[in-house]
Amino acid sequence: MKDQWTDRLSGYLDGDLGVAERGALEAHLAGCPACEATLDELRRVVARAQALEDQPPATDLWPAIAEQIGVSSGAHRVVSLAAHRARRRVSLTVAQLAAAAAVLLLLGSGGAYLALHRSTQDNRPLARRQTGMEPATATIGWVQKTSASYDSAVAELQGALEQGRNSGRLDSATVRVLTQSLVTIDSAIVQARRALAADPGSAYLNQHLADTMRRKLELLRRANTLVPART
Amino acid sequence: MLLNVAAVITLVVTQQTDTTVPVRPGMRLDVDNFGGEIVVRAWNQNAVRVQATHSSRDRIDVGVGSSTVSVKAESRRGLAQMVEYQISAPTWMEMNLHGVSTDIEVDGAQAGVTAETVNGEVKVRGGSGQLSLKSVQGAVTLQNAKGHIDVYTVNEEVTLENVSGDVTAETVSGDISLGGIESASVEVSTVSGDVHYDGTIKDGGHYRFATHNGDVSVSVPERANVTVSVATFNGDFDSCFPVSVTNTSKHRFSFTIGSGSARAELETFNGDIKLCRPGQLHDKRHNDQEDH
Repeated sequence: MKDQWTDRLSGYLDGDLGVAERGALEAHLAGCPACEATLDELRRVVARAQALEDQPPATDLWPAIAEQIGVSSGAHRVVSLAAHRARRRVSLTVAQLAAAAAVLLLLGSGGAYLALHRSTQDNRPLARRQTGMEPATATIGWVQKTSASYDSAVAELQGALEQGRNSGRLDSATVRVLTQSLVTIDSAIVQARRALAADPGSAYLNQHLADTMRRKLELLRRANTLVPART
Repeated sequence: MLLNVAAVITLVVTQQTDTTVPVRPGMRLDVDNFGGEIVVRAWNQNAVRVQATHSSRDRIDVGVGSSTVSVKAESRRGLAQMVEYQISAPTWMEMNLHGVSTDIEVDGAQAGVTAETVNGEVKVRGGSGQLSLKSVQGAVTLQNAKGHIDVYTVNEEVTLENVSGDVTAETVSGDISLGGIESASVEVSTVSGDVHYDGTIKDGGHYRFATHNGDVSVSVPERANVTVSVATFNGDFDSCFPVSVTNTSKHRFSFTIGSGSARAELETFNGDIKLCRPGQLHDKRHNDQEDH
């Protein structure tokens, strides 16, 4: 659903609307459950985005970036993380909202996974490790942009599951069930991707694909917690 | 002949353990079992009785600490394998039950229950507070319970009956059936299976029912106040009562019943969505099953 007010919801949350426009929107919200629901979703996405911790880079990336774009490395102004965090605002359109919500779902899963596997060596390229917010800012074509990190997480978890299988720590019946379930989820992901390719603007399909991908990560994560069960 | 020999050998090597220990209110029961079953029945005594049937090579260890009673089997030769536990525990006692190839059953508890197994069913009647029931290959059933409920399996169905409190239920391949639910927060999802909900829709509550391959059927009480969002990619929507669709997009539409203060999201990629009044869904499902 999209009406004349939908694109102003983000501005409303940011306090960018004038008094008259704000009043008119609030009157509209009182009678439009769909806009109300969209506003609620927008609030949740913004709250989660704002709650993400800014991670200072291990090394200063700016000199190399400045050199590549032809700017003096001394020209940039250093902004403290605290100040940046204090003024960070997240403005999204409805299409971006769907995408961002989906990305945040993936980030949530990844966060849970990483929390459980802190000892796992991080083999990702340095730049990707240093830009932990990268997926959250990718609101256009998020599936493509998050695919690499998603595939990497899935591959890592599947590798651990394979080790459990080869070492005999997971019995064959359990491995068979887990494998069948992964096939079931993969099939759902393929269907959702196809549908989304045909209708990339669909908030439902974006959300559904993200949910299904999250389910796969979650299943793999749970499966890996089972691996040491017989040790 | 071989069966007789096996039966004789089994009789020879099987041993019974029967131990009772006193407990104080506030203590928790921890049981760890690799294979077999854990059956816990609540009773009105401040004591835990552990009856176990196990191999004579295994020893049942009932440890009493300051805040827990822990039950596990120890083997003189590697891992203890199959143990059948029949445990009596006070109704007030929280329990933490873990198994691998183990069925878990709890009856009559009035406290929190955590039950996790890999290959086995989990069946809990009663319970209050934090209720977390999980399996990989096995159905999970919860009845007559209240609290914060988290139910998960991978390859079988989930059934909740006469349950109140926040509910999260997930499976990958299996149906999810919720009946007699009283809750303001319900989150249900499966990838391949039907979702059925018969329960309250409370003002201000949030309800989400989602599947990829399967039907979603939800009962909405007569006086419910709910904004319903329906999304399906390949499926139909049907309602036993008239609704006025207000907002539509390609794969999603919504409508309001009463004041619309609660929110219900009904989603299936490949499947139908049906709304009915309480009782009608059960009748319809029954008729559908008879037709098959």
